[in-house]
Amino acid sequence: MVMRSRLARSVAIAAAAMLGLGACSSSGGASGGGKSLTVWWYEQAGNAEDLGWKDALTAFEKAHPGVKVHFERKVWQQIQDAGAMILNSDKAPDVLEYNKGNATAGAVASKGLLTDLTTVASTRGWDKVAGSALTVGTYDSRGIMGPGKVYGIPSYGEYVSFYYNKDLFAKYGVSVPTTFDQLVGVLGAFKAKGVTPLAMSAGDYPAVHLLWGIALAKATHDWLNGYFGLKGKLDSSANSPLTAAAQTIADWTAKGYIDNKSSGLKADDAWSLFESGKAPITFAGTWMVPDFTTKAKTFKWGSFLMPGSGISEGSGGNIWVVPSASHNKELAYDFIGLTMDKTRQNEIANAGGVALAADTAAVTDPVGKMVNATFHQLVASKGLGLYPDWPVPNFYNVIQQNLQTLVGGNQKPDQFMGQLKSAYDQYQSSAG
Amino acid sequence: MTITAARPQSARRVPSLTRAARQGYVRYLIPGGAGFLALILVPFGMNVAISFTSWSGIGSPHFVGLKNYRRLVHDDLFWSAFEHSIWFIIAMAVVPTALGLFLAAVLFDYVAPRFGRRTASFLRGGFYLPQVLPITVAGIAWSWILNPYGAVNSVLKDFGVSDPPNWLGDSNWALPSVMLVLVWMQIGYGLVIFMAGMARIDPQLHEAAELDGAAWFTRFRNVTVPQTRPEIFVVLLTTTIAALKVFAPVFVLTRGGPGDATNVPSFYSYTNFFGSLQVGYGSAVATVLTLIVIVLAVIFVRVQSRSEGV
Repeated sequence: MVMRSRLARSVAIAAAAMLGLGACSSSGGASGGGKSLTVWWYEQAGNAEDLGWKDALTAFEKAHPGVKVHFERKVWQQIQDAGAMILNSDKAPDVLEYNKGNATAGAVASKGLLTDLTTVASTRGWDKVAGSALTVGTYDSRGIMGPGKVYGIPSYGEYVSFYYNKDLFAKYGVSVPTTFDQLVGVLGAFKAKGVTPLAMSAGDYPAVHLLWGIALAKATHDWLNGYFGLKGKLDSSANSPLTAAAQTIADWTAKGYIDNKSSGLKADDAWSLFESGKAPITFAGTWMVPDFTTKAKTFKWGSFLMPGSGISEGSGGNIWVVPSASHNKELAYDFIGLTMDKTRQNEIANAGGVALAADTAAVTDPVGKMVNATFHQLVASKGLGLYPDWPVPNFYNVIQQNLQTLVGGNQKPDQFMGQLKSAYDQYQSSAG
Repeated sequence: MTITAARPQSARRVPSLTRAARQGYVRYLIPGGAGFLALILVPFGMNVAISFTSWSGIGSPHFVGLKNYRRLVHDDLFWSAFEHSIWFIIAMAVVPTALGLFLAAVLFDYVAPRFGRRTASFLRGGFYLPQVLPITVAGIAWSWILNPYGAVNSVLKDFGVSDPPNWLGDSNWALPSVMLVLVWMQIGYGLVIFMAGMARIDPQLHEAAELDGAAWFTRFRNVTVPQTRPEIFVVLLTTTIAALKVFAPVFVLTRGGPGDATNVPSFYSYTNFFGSLQVGYGSAVATVLTLIVIVLAVIFVRVQSRSEGV
C-alpha cells in the first residue's frame, strides 16, 4: 500500500513537472483586453525599417499610456519555417511582420489564420499609401496572390537592380546601358579586357534574382499574370521569357560574363567582389544599399534598372499581418497606421530605405532620394515584377539549386526548365 | 601461433529480486519513461498518423490512406536521397571506423610508448576536436576552405593545378566534398572509444604475440582488432544510424544541392515538411527512415549478441 502511494506520488510529480514545462512555454503570447500589444518583426536592428518602426512603437506608447507593449525581434527564417504553427497556436502576437508570398502569407490566409484587413485598409487609407504595392498583401480564397482580400499591409518597398562601379566604367570607357543589347555589349567590353564583369553567386539567391530580372526584361504583363495566377502549366517553350533567361544565363556563363565558379559562392562572396572593386557590376536588392554605402568606400557607385520591358524585379516589402487569434486588433491597427504615416515613411526614406509614400521634398539622404525616386517610378508604371518563387511552395529551392547546376555547367537550359516545370506543374494541378 | 582470445567470464549470476524489490525500482523509471513517452513515442505516433494524410500543416488533414507511400515508391528524389545515404554510411561509419581503429592503435602502442602518454593524449584530443566543435561552426569554416577561391584551391594553384575543382558548387564534386568533411568530423569519435577499448586488452596477449615474432601489423590484425570487437560494433551501429539520419552538415554545407546532388532523406523530409508544405508526404519519408533505422539497429544488435555468445 505504501509502495503504491509512493508510486502514485512519483507519477503525480512527473506529471506536474511536465505541466509546469508546458505552462512556462506558453508565456509571452498575446493576451487580451486592449491592455497590451505584442509586436514581432525580423528586420535587422538599425536598418531603415527598424528605425522607422521603433519610432512608431514609441509614438504608440505615447498615444496609449495604459497599454503595455511587448516587442520581440525574430528572424526571417523562423517565420518561414514555423510561421504557420505560431499563428495556429495561442502564442501568436497581436501584429507581426510576415513573409509575403503564396507559400507563406497566402497559405495561412487561406486557412483563416489571418484577419481580413480589406475594410480597415480602406477606412484608414492604407490602400492609398501602398498603391499597387498592396498586391503583396492581397490573396484569393486559395491563398494565391492577386485579386482577393487584403490580409497584409506592406509599409516599405524593395526592388532589384544593377549596381555599378562608376570609376571602372570610366576607366574602361563604358557607359550605362539603356537597352538589353547595350547591356550585353557592356559585359562583353569588360570581358575583352580580362575583367569578369558580374559579381555573382549561383550558390545562393543572387543568381535567382538575375534569372528573374532577365526574364522580366522579356516578359509581358499577360505572361506574368498567367505565371503568378497558376493559370496553366509552366510555359517552357522557346518563346517563354523564363526559357530565354535560362539560355541567357548559360550563354553569359559560357562567355565568362558570369564566373562558372560562382556556383560555389555565397551571396556575401558576390557582394564583397563588388565592394572591393574587383567586379564592376552586380545585381542586388535595395536591402543591400546600406551595406554598399558602408563598405564600397574606394570608388563611386550608382545603379540602373535592368533594361528591357520596363518591368523590374521588386514588390512591396514584407507585410504586417494581424493573426485571427489576436485580442487586441484595434491596437494592432493603430500601430500599423503609425508605420504608414508621413512621419515614419519619411524616416524610412531618410535612413536610406525604400518607403512606400515618402515626401520627395522631405528626403535629404542622397541614397534615400535615389532609391525612393526609382521605386515610385516603378509603382507608377506598374513595373514591379515580383519574385519568381511566389507561385509555388518551395519553388525558391528548386530554382536556386538547379540554377547552381546550370551555372556549374552540369545542366543544359532545357534540363533546367524541365526541373522547374515538373515542380510548377505538380503544384499547379493540385492548386489550380 | 594460436591465440585464443580470453573471453571474460560472465559474472556470477545475481539472484533475481523479489517482486516487491523490483517494484521499488519502478518509480526510478518514471522520469525517463515520461520523457520517452512525451518526446519520442507520442510524436512518432502522430508522425505515423500524419503520414496517412494530405496536410499543409495548417487546417485539418485529409485521410488519404497509403497514397503518400505509393508516391514515395515512385519518387526518384527519395531514392536518390537514399543512395546518397549509402555514401554517407561510407563517410560516417565505414571509413572513420577503419581509420579510427588504425589511428587508435598507432597512438596506443606506437606513439604512447615512444613519445609519451602526453603526446598521445594531445593527438587524441586533436582528432576528437571536430566532435566538440558545433556543426554550424565547422560547416561554415569548411565552406570557406572549400570555396572555389578558398584555402584549398589557392594551395592547389600554388602547386600548379590551373583549374582546381569547384568543391561544393559542382554536382560531381559536392558529394565527395561533403563526405570528406564528414570523415574529418567522425574520426575522433571512434578513435576515442577504440583507445579506451585497447586499454582493456590484456597486455599478455600482445607480449605473447611479440614473443612469437609477430610484427606490429600482425598483432594489430590478430590481437587488437578481434579484442576490440564490441567497441567496433558499437561505433559502427551508432555511426551508421547517425549517417542515415544526417541533417545538419548537409543543411549547413550544401542544403542538398547543387540540384539534388547531396540530398539526404532527413533533409528531403524537412523540405517537404517546411518548404513545399506537404506535411503528410514529409511524414511518410520520416516514417520510412525511422523504420529502416530501427530494422538496421535490431540486425546490428542481433549480430553483435550472437558473436559475443550472449
